[in-house]
Amino acid sequence: MKLQFVHLCPQRMSLYGEYANLVMLQRMAQELGHAVEIVAGEAPDLSKAHLIYMGCGTEQAQKFALEVLRPQVDGLKGALDRGAVVLFTGNAMEVLGQSITDTQGKVWEGLGLTEFTTIETRQRTPHDVIANTPPGYSPVVGFMNKCSLTAGVSTPMFESLEMGFGNDCQRGPEGYLSGNLMATHLTGPVLVKNPALAHEVLRRVLTCAGAEVPQTLPVLPHQQEAYDVTLRELRSKGENAG
Amino acid sequence: MRRFLAIILCKLMRVVGKMLGRGSSLPGQFALKVCPDVLGRVKLPPYVIAVTGSNGKTSTVEMIAAILKAAGKNVVYNAEGSNQIEGVTTLILSQCDLRGQVRGDVLLLESDERYARHTFHWFHPTHFVITNLYRDQLTRNGHPQWVYDAILPAIHPSTTLVLNADDPLVACFAHQGNPVKWFGLEAWPGATKEHHGMYHDGAFCPACGAPMEYELYHYNHIGHYHCTQCGHHRPHPDFAVTGLDLEAGQLVLDGDTPIQLAFRSIYNVYNILAAWSACRMIGVDKHTAAGVINNYILKNGRMVRFTLGHHKGTLLTSKHENSVAYDTNLRYIRDLGTPCSVLVVVDSISRKYFTGETSWLWDIDFDLLSAPHVQRVVLSGRYVHDLALRFECSSVPQDKLVLSASIPQAVEFLEGSGDEDLYVVTCFSDRDKVLDRVELEDK
Ligand SMILES: [Zn+2]
Repeated sequence: MKLQFVHLCPQRMSLYGEYANLVMLQRMAQELGHAVEIVAGEAPDLSKAHLIYMGCGTEQAQKFALEVLRPQVDGLKGALDRGAVVLFTGNAMEVLGQSITDTQGKVWEGLGLTEFTTIETRQRTPHDVIANTPPGYSPVVGFMNKCSLTAGVSTPMFESLEMGFGNDCQRGPEGYLSGNLMATHLTGPVLVKNPALAHEVLRRVLTCAGAEVPQTLPVLPHQQEAYDVTLRELRSKGENAG
Repeated sequence: MRRFLAIILCKLMRVVGKMLGRGSSLPGQFALKVCPDVLGRVKLPPYVIAVTGSNGKTSTVEMIAAILKAAGKNVVYNAEGSNQIEGVTTLILSQCDLRGQVRGDVLLLESDERYARHTFHWFHPTHFVITNLYRDQLTRNGHPQWVYDAILPAIHPSTTLVLNADDPLVACFAHQGNPVKWFGLEAWPGATKEHHGMYHDGAFCPACGAPMEYELYHYNHIGHYHCTQCGHHRPHPDFAVTGLDLEAGQLVLDGDTPIQLAFRSIYNVYNILAAWSACRMIGVDKHTAAGVINNYILKNGRMVRFTLGHHKGTLLTSKHENSVAYDTNLRYIRDLGTPCSVLVVVDSISRKYFTGETSWLWDIDFDLLSAPHVQRVVLSGRYVHDLALRFECSSVPQDKLVLSASIPQAVEFLEGSGDEDLYVVTCFSDRDKVLDRVELEDK
């Protein structure tokens, strides 16, 4: 089967090697025998996408991305309605909500796909993260580098964090998840670091495409070991990092 | 009186600290407690040159100091690289007489880009050299634009800026209305029409956000650019490398001064150019400056030669979390053309803090190591699996890869096999784990 991934604003919104998330999903899908086309652009056609992804950018780049995406809100809604996955990571998450208030006090109207609102801060919160997941699932590891507080999330992706700053408080709930609209402030290649989270996304993508979802999904060489080392290191040393 | 006390205290602590082998920031820290505005109450030399930027600060400062000394100037500078306000205070007060006059003709400061505004709150440089702004330690720095915003308040209206014309973000500092002198690299055979690298931080104008166009790229987003909307463009440089042949290790400064390079890397070219510009501006003649720069060998240990088994080895110090530093070293290896192997080590991501953040590996253009003359790539350190996964998604043939989480075992493996040249690419945080196990060439 042929899968299509759309990478929105791949140059503006890529501070942390985010393209690797799509490379990972592509490699996994290929292992299952699917062909994957990655369409990248500022305003690509969303109507055939099984996955629509956007990564993290500077505060300035995020505002440009917001304006670029505004005319495509219906395209995003349509994609969600037909079962496609919309995954936004880092400060891309913020554009999905009602508004972003910048440090000058200017209020930027969001895309309005969800109910939350974001306020930017002059302080950055860079931190390693371990996110708690339901029993039976691997904790998610990663990093966040945010300068914002997001309030009003009723359905977070992670109920709490073992380490790191959540949507609006230390160790609090993080990200947003409703249907196939997935968002987290974890930066960079979060799917590279977390094969289990990549599998969760892949299952939804395969379902959208009407493809079979196998019981066991492929893992790339070294991916599990890299995860294990990171989790071990974070748990043993991360506490000292505050 | 408090100034007097602060100076005495700082001097005493510095002497004791040196005997105990302590760092240089503590005396300054105490002096600032005794007299918080002490830096505003000392009399500085006629020239105060500050250097900041993501890469090349220390090298540029070392080179400027060497040139100024050769020109007969008495230069006071922070050789130990303690570049935040405490270290700068220690330096200044320990070079003060008791009336608060700083000795010397030139005060030369390497300044941490994030903390420059604290240092230059009480006094300001006559000349402020800004080398470049790259993605660097994003885990604590945020992003280059964030660093730009952090530097802005450190710039006093009367300071003359000495800016890299080829870096579109650095060029924005000129918008403050300060007097500016530009340095830049003119077209050369190694420049490309196409952008190279895993990401393009020059794709959009830092001033207005519109797409940018490049006539040529020197490396990554450094080159000759112009915005398609607002007119932001690479300014014509006042000081320039007007000819460059990296392969032959030759460059020409300002049309008439040939230089032989001891280290044939593009970033060495920019360090030289920045140092040349600053020194020319305060009246050093071309002949004296060129005499120092010719075959200048950096003494800050970024490049170390050694022997391991039958290998002649070279350490190329990169910086973890700094993909441009990696790219320049990998490009250097690619351009050698002679058979070699490469050892890449990621063990501790930082010397100064803990993080498990490895997304920067995906920003590094490891495809450069797919060149046929690179025979083997040995990956090592705690994060060997992150490296291996990154290489799994590169164009480097997998049969060239050797993995060893243990650094001693990786070194031992190389010692016992082959006689090709060996290049070690790693960070200050990890380099000694390799250097402790090899035979260093005389320094
Ligand atoms: Zn512009």
